[in-house]
Amino acid sequence: MLQRIWAVIQKEFIQTLRDRRTLIIQLGLPLVQMLIFGYAIRTDVRNIPLVVADQSLDRASRAFVQALTVSGYFDVVNYVADEAQAIHAIDEGRAQAGVVILPGFAADVERNGAQVLLLVDGSDVFTSQTAYNAITAIAQSHSKEVLVSRLLRAGRLSNADQLLPLDTRVRILYNPNLLDLWFVIPGIVAVILQTQTITLTAAAVVRERESGTIEQILVTPIRPFELLIGKIAPNIVIAIVNMLTILALGVLWFETPFQGNFWLFFGLACLYVLSGLGMGLLVSAISENQKQSQQTAMMLMLIGLVLGGFIFPRYLMPPVIRAVGNLFPLTYFIPIARGIITKGIGVATLWEQVIVLAVYVGVVMFFATRAFRRNLD
Amino acid sequence: MRREMIERLRDRRTLALILGIPLLQLTLFGYAVHLTAYHLPTVVVDMSLDAHSRGFVDALRASGYFDIERYVATEADVLTALDAGVAKAGVVIPPNFAADIERGKAQALVILDGSDSFSVQSGYSAAVAIGQAYALDIAVQKIERLGQRLNTQPITASTRVLYNPNRDDLVFIMPGLIAMLLQVLAVNMTAQSIVREHELGTIEQIMATPVRPLELVIGKLAPNILFVAIDQVMIKLLGVFWFGVPFRGNVGLLAGLSFLFVCAGLGLGLVISSVARTQKEAEQLSALLMLLSLLLTGYIYPRSPMPPVVRALGSLIPLTYFIRIARGVITKGVGITYLWNDVLALSMYVVVVMILAALTFKKRLD
Repeated sequence: MLQRIWAVIQKEFIQTLRDRRTLIIQLGLPLVQMLIFGYAIRTDVRNIPLVVADQSLDRASRAFVQALTVSGYFDVVNYVADEAQAIHAIDEGRAQAGVVILPGFAADVERNGAQVLLLVDGSDVFTSQTAYNAITAIAQSHSKEVLVSRLLRAGRLSNADQLLPLDTRVRILYNPNLLDLWFVIPGIVAVILQTQTITLTAAAVVRERESGTIEQILVTPIRPFELLIGKIAPNIVIAIVNMLTILALGVLWFETPFQGNFWLFFGLACLYVLSGLGMGLLVSAISENQKQSQQTAMMLMLIGLVLGGFIFPRYLMPPVIRAVGNLFPLTYFIPIARGIITKGIGVATLWEQVIVLAVYVGVVMFFATRAFRRNLD
Repeated sequence: MRREMIERLRDRRTLALILGIPLLQLTLFGYAVHLTAYHLPTVVVDMSLDAHSRGFVDALRASGYFDIERYVATEADVLTALDAGVAKAGVVIPPNFAADIERGKAQALVILDGSDSFSVQSGYSAAVAIGQAYALDIAVQKIERLGQRLNTQPITASTRVLYNPNRDDLVFIMPGLIAMLLQVLAVNMTAQSIVREHELGTIEQIMATPVRPLELVIGKLAPNILFVAIDQVMIKLLGVFWFGVPFRGNVGLLAGLSFLFVCAGLGLGLVISSVARTQKEAEQLSALLMLLSLLLTGYIYPRSPMPPVVRALGSLIPLTYFIRIARGVITKGVGITYLWNDVLALSMYVVVVMILAALTFKKRLD
């Protein structure tokens, strides 16, 4: 058996090495992806273009607008006359937020009834969320200052710190400076590996079938399972090289700290690579031609990307959708990657994901072999 | 052209995939995408268990941002829960909370899981705002007891979110999703079908007939356009009627501009098919394009914070222009007068990419 597998492995390696161009693409593409994503993903929105309709133009209103710009969240691009013009500017896309301050602002502040209206472009979710949070916080702290200075004047307070009896501190674990890259790098490693492994093998079996060489191989004494093992062997090597290079890029170039144990990560990543390759094989075995296998592979990648927890948090999804996400190895590997790279935790907290991933590899290989055999009859 | 249609219809399974996948995706996306992290699973250590500490925890819960999963004994337990991923946030209230508040120097600690960017961003601003509001309430009560009437907030900011008043994520995602699926279909189907003829060698047979390259390309593209159009209509119907995403603009305008966009996608697919030698390569290039589109075009991540080089790279993808158009027409309900910038860019894109495709295609045949 080992001898037969070895023969297939040799054949596959020779085939892979002969096609230099494809090999270069397979080794280089993940690096390019890593570079681009590392620079592309920024979720902290700053400098939101803002139009101001200040109908008071007094000291209080100017101070408020200044507080908005000083915060760094807003850039005043234009002053307009009224609300309608502000909406118009947002319609056109020249601004993504507008502030409307009604006449008599300073007097209203004195009477404790001043209102500020913020208009935000709701078609851009990150911007509207940031703008919403920012203006609420700014109005709150601005109010506090007004209140404190008034109480100081009235002699009710001897110093400003006394006003607030409760101080809420927020501590952010694992990533104290909220660097986007630290969030993103472990997820990207997982996603790129998923893309690579599925595409690498999705075409493998179908291609032999399309070109008719599969019959030639099958008249030899090789068994389906052995053939599949042999088929993925060179891909395992390619995927592991990919994993190491993108990880090196993330740690050395993007300076993401690697908190956990590297060998633990390496071992689990190999398991993950196997599961992805198995999934690709399954796709390959159930497809009739390369077009089908490609479409199916693309669909799987996209679904995995959405449901796996890379971009959207999983705990917010309805149970059925979450269950669909459980069918993808990415779902298990993202907590592993984040856990080891960012959190620095060990197998003691991750064992659940590890077991599931191991079972996954077994199951997917079993189904791939079965589908392959059935398709031959 | 007829040959293409016949071939397409004969392969039933591929046909089913082409028509079924977009619907499946929209359904999944429709239910899966949440960009605002409400309901962070939270563990609480309350070492005081008095009226104020309970009031503070209640304020956090009432905000909707924090779901109290359970109470634990020490800060170390909170860290364990975050390590294990059971909770995304923890609240630590030290002993003697009520007494400290009376003396004006109480502290509460909110711990967030920094490995999950969504949770952190929502959780951070929510925790700070809730803490401050709670403190201000107490301060005002205290001052009122001293005999002075005060209003909590001299300035209140009310926010109106245009086009999407409930900040529904789906309203944000839908136009982008339609655009994205259109591009994926247009590019992939084209790239794949041409490369396949190359691989099978049938392209020489066709070239031996009096069909010109341009005619061949148009013939190849026609059925693809038809399928893409069917997909598009299905996606829109599902989005509007099932998920209730409002369609504010002009349907005809969007259909016309979609056609322009699909042409751009098909052109891009042609270029890929000329660059790629095998179906495997075409597949890898398409996969790369899909990932790039997802991240660089403004579909999910905002384009404004990206560095200029990356933004320029995104400008090479037709999706970048069409996402703004789709959001403009579907969500904002604006007309062509507001969009002409992107429409112009997209038209130029089509012309350039078609010329490029024709050039590379010809070169490859020689």
